[in-house]
Amino acid sequence: MARERYIKVLLFACASLSFLAILLIFLFIFRESLPAITKGGFPNLFLSATWDPDKGRYGMLAFLNGTILTTLGGLVLGAPLGIGTAIFLDQVAPRRMGNIIRRGVELLAGIPSVVIGWFGLTILVPFIARVTNSAGYGIGAASVVLAVMVLPTITTLSAETLRSLPPELKEASVSMGATRWQTIRGVLLPAGREGILVAVILGMGRAIGETMAVQMVVGNSRQLTFSLTRGTGTLTSRIVTDMGEATGVFRSALFAQALVLLILAMLLIISIRLITRQKER
Amino acid sequence: MKRISNAAASPRTGKPPLFARAALLIAVLLLVSLPAACSIRGAGVVRIAGSTTLLPLVQDGADRFMDMRGDRTVLVQGGGSSVGIAQLKEGIVDIANSSRELKPDEDDGRLMDHRIALDVIAIVVNPGVGVDNLTREQVKGIFTGAIANWREVGGEDAPIITVVRDKASGTREMFDEIALDKEDSVASAIECNSNGIVRQTVASTPNSLGYVSIGYADASIRAIKYDGVAPGTESAKDGSYPLSRYLHMFTSGEPREAAREFIDYVLSEEFQTEVVSQEYIPVIGL
Repeated sequence: MARERYIKVLLFACASLSFLAILLIFLFIFRESLPAITKGGFPNLFLSATWDPDKGRYGMLAFLNGTILTTLGGLVLGAPLGIGTAIFLDQVAPRRMGNIIRRGVELLAGIPSVVIGWFGLTILVPFIARVTNSAGYGIGAASVVLAVMVLPTITTLSAETLRSLPPELKEASVSMGATRWQTIRGVLLPAGREGILVAVILGMGRAIGETMAVQMVVGNSRQLTFSLTRGTGTLTSRIVTDMGEATGVFRSALFAQALVLLILAMLLIISIRLITRQKER
Repeated sequence: MKRISNAAASPRTGKPPLFARAALLIAVLLLVSLPAACSIRGAGVVRIAGSTTLLPLVQDGADRFMDMRGDRTVLVQGGGSSVGIAQLKEGIVDIANSSRELKPDEDDGRLMDHRIALDVIAIVVNPGVGVDNLTREQVKGIFTGAIANWREVGGEDAPIITVVRDKASGTREMFDEIALDKEDSVASAIECNSNGIVRQTVASTPNSLGYVSIGYADASIRAIKYDGVAPGTESAKDGSYPLSRYLHMFTSGEPREAAREFIDYVLSEEFQTEVVSQEYIPVIGL
């Protein structure tokens, strides 16, 4: 019995440690970003797209815009691909073929982002440059790279959702004379909607936080742009580019960007909670 | 290492409590890291931090110095010129590498300057660009965004893609100061964190131009003339090529014995001719 208690204490310690860690990170980032908010000013920081630390301009809109657009771009490309693969794995593929593809997708999740980024830099960017007669860097290239990175998350979680659906659903649909496609579209996808949505949101979380691969192909410029083929930056790429020698308010402004990233991540978690709670009702 | 693997194999022989195994693991890790932690305190240790430009060069020097002098340890870190100088003044490091001169607010009158190499910045273009020379005004116009097409400087009708270094870079600071009269480069410029990435970006991006330390200007990119003068050792030495700067090691007052020996080695003819000359211009004979 004593041992039982030890293990309980140990597990409790683990749990409180990880909770404490996230709390400390949040407090630390908030504290570090305070000087930028008080000295730089709220509009200067959050409502401006001019990033010029030498002149005291710390506007992050260009990078927030980059983060949002590259993430959406990655999802527009990656989500249909991932969900499609999941449907194929669960409903269409023969068992052995499905296993091979599943392993392949899992392997994709294990590839370090710097490798994918390097691949993008040497193959994708020159390709885009040739086709569009531009530099090739930008939101377009970053979106493709992110699509590759969100694919495993979305695929495995969507496939898991489809697999957990009661088999009666499909059997009933087929026995009513529905074709396979009608069953997938009319019964299985609506039934798994919440789970697939959560899969996409988790993929989104991955895309928002991705740094290395995006930094390598996004062009790392300071300009605000909606073009797919002009260089811009994301919050993460700007932090990693400038953190080397940033001091004072400059450094604090980078922490403010980290704070925005953290808030974005929190919003995602909250939205997942809302979706799953809705389902429980 | 052996003890860790024993601990991992123990479930077969009978299970020690989870705690005991975790404690053993931690104890082994502590034991392993103890000697490393101790060696940092010794008198024969030189701690260095600062410019990332200088990092590869000084690391190479440290490795050679330690091979030669087994009783000395040289620890080199990056962080950037400003960080190095700040740490030097706080007494955290013995030597600060810097790719720029001291700023007025950094100069407390006690820091000693040791010039270890002359760095020449070359303006480089993608090999497909048909321009061989840019005037000072043209360079400034291109990097600040006033000139956006190669046609305006005698090239083909194609947009100019500028590649610059990041804000933390001493190379950028020097380039902005000398070539751009302290103006900032255009917002659409691609920012890269190192000379090597600038080189790769310029080499693989048509119609691009950037700037790198001359040691990085290889066959994949093309160095062009600045105001009619080609970048090189001679033109930098006689002052006709203005885009050059000294690389420094700063110490706080007279360096301690170990640091002194290391700086002497970096300035020695052997290191200057064998290593420094591969990327920079040696300071001996300047």
